[in-house]
Amino acid sequence: MADALLRCEPVPAAPAAYSGVTITLAPPMRRWSLRAKSRQALETHLGLSLPRKIGETLGDIACLGPDEWLWRAVDVEPKETGAGLPLSVVDVSERSVGIILEGHAARAMLNAGCPLDLERFAVGRMTRTIYEGVEIILSRESETRWSVDVWRSFAEHLLLSFTTVARNR
Amino acid sequence: MSGFRMDQGGRVDRGARVNFTFDGKPYQGFAGDTLASALLAAGVTLFGRSFKYHRPRGIMGAGVEEPNALISVDRGGGRFTPNLRATQIEIYEGLNAKSQNRWPSLKRDFGAINDRLGRFFPAGFYNKTFMWPRSFWEKLYEPAIRRMAGLGDAPSEVDPDHYDAGYAHCELLIVGAGPAGIDAALEASGSNARVILIDEQDELGGGALADPSLWPWLERSVKALQAAPNITILTRTTAFGYFHDNFIGAVERITDHLAEPGHGPREKLWKIRAAEVILAQGAIERPLVFEGNDVPGVMLASAARVFALRHGVAVGKNVAVMAAHDSGWKDALALAKAGVGIAAIIDVRDAVDAGLVAEAEAKDIPIYLNYSVIGVNGRHHVKSAQICSNDEYLGGRIACDALLMAGGWTPSIHLWSHSKGSIAWSEDWGAFLPDKPNENVRCVGACGGTFSFGKGVNLGQLPTPKDPATIKAFLDFQNDVTAKDIALAVREGYHSVEHIKRYTTNGMATDQGKTSNLNALQLASGFLDRPIEKIGLTTFRPPYTPQSFGAFAGHAKDALFIATRKSPIDSWAGEQGAVYEPVAQWRRARYFPRSGEDMHAAVNRECLAVRNGVGIFDASTLGKIEVVGPDAAEFLNRMYTNPWKQLEPGRCRYGLLLREDGFITDDGVSARLAPDRFHLTTTTGGAARVLNMMEDYLQTEWPDLNVWLTSITEQWAVIALQGPKARDVIAPFVEGIDLSPEAFPHMAVREGMICGVPTRLFRVSFTGELGYEINVPAAYGRAVWEVLWDAGEAHGITPYGTETMHVLRAEKGFIIVGQDTDGTLTPYDAGLAWAVGKKKADFVGKRSLARPDIVAEGRKQLVGLLTDDPNEVLEEGAQIVADPNQPVPMTMLGHVTSSYWSATLGRSIAIAMVAGGQGRMGETLHIPMPGRTIAAKVTAMVFYDAEGVRVNG
Repeated sequence: MADALLRCEPVPAAPAAYSGVTITLAPPMRRWSLRAKSRQALETHLGLSLPRKIGETLGDIACLGPDEWLWRAVDVEPKETGAGLPLSVVDVSERSVGIILEGHAARAMLNAGCPLDLERFAVGRMTRTIYEGVEIILSRESETRWSVDVWRSFAEHLLLSFTTVARNR
Repeated sequence: MSGFRMDQGGRVDRGARVNFTFDGKPYQGFAGDTLASALLAAGVTLFGRSFKYHRPRGIMGAGVEEPNALISVDRGGGRFTPNLRATQIEIYEGLNAKSQNRWPSLKRDFGAINDRLGRFFPAGFYNKTFMWPRSFWEKLYEPAIRRMAGLGDAPSEVDPDHYDAGYAHCELLIVGAGPAGIDAALEASGSNARVILIDEQDELGGGALADPSLWPWLERSVKALQAAPNITILTRTTAFGYFHDNFIGAVERITDHLAEPGHGPREKLWKIRAAEVILAQGAIERPLVFEGNDVPGVMLASAARVFALRHGVAVGKNVAVMAAHDSGWKDALALAKAGVGIAAIIDVRDAVDAGLVAEAEAKDIPIYLNYSVIGVNGRHHVKSAQICSNDEYLGGRIACDALLMAGGWTPSIHLWSHSKGSIAWSEDWGAFLPDKPNENVRCVGACGGTFSFGKGVNLGQLPTPKDPATIKAFLDFQNDVTAKDIALAVREGYHSVEHIKRYTTNGMATDQGKTSNLNALQLASGFLDRPIEKIGLTTFRPPYTPQSFGAFAGHAKDALFIATRKSPIDSWAGEQGAVYEPVAQWRRARYFPRSGEDMHAAVNRECLAVRNGVGIFDASTLGKIEVVGPDAAEFLNRMYTNPWKQLEPGRCRYGLLLREDGFITDDGVSARLAPDRFHLTTTTGGAARVLNMMEDYLQTEWPDLNVWLTSITEQWAVIALQGPKARDVIAPFVEGIDLSPEAFPHMAVREGMICGVPTRLFRVSFTGELGYEINVPAAYGRAVWEVLWDAGEAHGITPYGTETMHVLRAEKGFIIVGQDTDGTLTPYDAGLAWAVGKKKADFVGKRSLARPDIVAEGRKQLVGLLTDDPNEVLEEGAQIVADPNQPVPMTMLGHVTSSYWSATLGRSIAIAMVAGGQGRMGETLHIPMPGRTIAAKVTAMVFYDAEGVRVNG
């Protein structure tokens, strides 16, 4: 998209390294909010399988709520938006930016502001939660690698929250 | 003994001397001393002045229960903490501690006159005396009372410390690391369960720290716990509150005990979610109630034991013991064994365990059974105790330099009560014990009633031959409540324990009645002649002990206090020198001053630039919701006042949203992108509220509808380009959209490309000029803005901020929800009757619009106001009257909601809410201001281009 124009992100692209954790801006991603009362309706429309339980991921799709899924990857696009069907496919690619926290201290650092039990948070799980009052979508990509999606306008504040905690550890 | 420091014993490090000051005077103690133990060792008895009567007070307890010795610690540089208990301050090299609530000095305190006037200060005194005249309360009475009756001073400098915070999860949380808590932790060690063990003291052990026979066990146990990988030990940590679903708040004090606090966090707030909680908080000894029980040197027997056996400090050289419980005998014997002289053991009971009596006799301790202390001689320290037999009133005087009280034990059920566990009265304990849990929690050890301190007798007050109305026998030492205050409360008709508490303030001090609640209850039970279990206990509330504000704030200070949301174009505005203003959680550019311009000059210039050329405005913060699904139009038709079903794809409509009560709550222009897809906009501040409200209706009222709401506020950056030249600026960059007025009229939307990125291009106007709101993916917002900015320079493009936006819309009579409305305006009141679908069967708020009050004459309505003097700009919020000569208080008709200087019109304009306003067109009304009255004429709200031709340009 738009080779001539520069993307402008709310947080610096350069990774920031702290004791036990590195904080990096994730690459731009395509994000689609998928909604329907019937999971099958979305699966049929998209030609994809959707995870069944809240918090589970299947491929690039995570189940965030009883009627809500997030389809997120660097380059994913539905063929049709589903005109006339009892479902909703909405482009929210630029609503959020992704921040990656990697390192053995990332879990403890996230627990400074996130109330979930992250020691028991399985690799592959994705959920909507909060960090110090800012809504985020959190996923665990490996034992030591976590991804945080945050609405763009909150990103600078969230990064400051992260770096303050990382610095004071 | 050297002074009161015993030659041996205790856990202090006699090799490590620590220098500190108290009220400026230098002292020396040992590492391991508390401020209390170190000062007692130096012979200090006077630690503070009481809250109300300014009576001299000493140490009563040895730990968390201490009500008297509240101390301020000043570390310099803004690090000042008032109201710390001397019994819990660990001394460190250079500690600077100060007593409180005294002037000019602790020994000679002016306020002590209150003690002699005490009979004039009964319970309820302030409420009864300082009632009239009412106006005196705020200016005279309250400040004077606050000065006299007080705790320490509030810190006056900014706290330089920072604070940590975090969440923790565990399978088992144990609060209290005395023997019972340690046993519970040992039992859980070696399992997979995550265990957190919390204790408020500097080392584990609790009561065992004052029992040398347990020290070998303690050392072994602590080693085992430290070696267990599944156990996290938090010392100097207070669990202050127990909240729903086993959520416990705790504060860890990290640097307060260090001579050099360093740069780390001072405290850490732990927010712990535990599958199971074990409370092992122990029990607190009760004082006895008799005249003189607050003289410095009168203290709990258990405290004397802790000072002697843990700190190696004798609280006196010749100590008398007043007991109502076996534990007092045991403490006396332990003190005697450690070398402290025991003057006598006095017991209110006529029979005591023969073994204890024999042991005391063997040590030649004088024993007085069936006797009570009825008075204490000495003002700043105990000189002797006056005793009297309970039935024959035979008295005597016992010389002593300290008097210990053993009134029985109160299990610490504070956290249990926070968790809403029920409690049951135990006659054995003379206290309430945990009964049925409300969470997955149990109590072990003394706080669960499963440890025995021996037998005792329960009584509210020791017998005395003196007239109870003439003596001060203290119950609540921190709030200066005496036994006769409870009697007075009952006599004045307060029969509920919660009322007695509030009337007398018993248990309402910072210690929440840790030593006073049960004695007060015993007394009330006697005065009311009702069994204690029928009266019940007052409620415990968090925090268990006072905590610092810093700990509660955690990371949320300075820049992290609250998130400031910034739009994708915010940085550009900053580079251009914009002045920002907060709008909801966002910061927005208010105006763009050029050098030398004030706000008015900048806004005048920005307004004229939009009217005569083109202005560019960042509208990204507007709330946006994508409404998708086969029932999207039906849903919006039910939510908004206006009809949506017939709106064609590609067209926009102004939507007005009411609450169920018929009053305006939000508005915005929305577009139909496709038959089943709408792009809604809301006000900046209303975005979250509107989404929640719509989601609420969807989930609870109309779950049958197939429609879904997605917030897209942050998906799109919005660039408003407004003014006659707007089309000229964007035309070169737009692909796939015919911009001609015929193909793309006002209130239309098109999807296409601009500057090579996708756009939802709205042709809408909040200024009354030809205008576009260009939605582009947020990451490209700034880049597109800069392309348009560069291209616009040839057309004189001018950036404008929210202030100019406000003026331009006011010139057109467009309202701002929340500024011109106040939650009591209907569409009719706001002059928006045209936006209500008359033929619609229903919409949210419709039924309320027919209420008699809503259709009545004389409601406040929005109108325009033009001042007679065109140069007069009214003050927003100013009141409006019809007759300025009416005597005060005048009949007020309403107030000014919006008021600006209009550069376009060369005069001031205003919008106002006026009773019956729409029927007052042409009438002159008056706005009284300090020293003068301004006259203004009621007009229509549209001040500029009333025919609306410019928008179609």
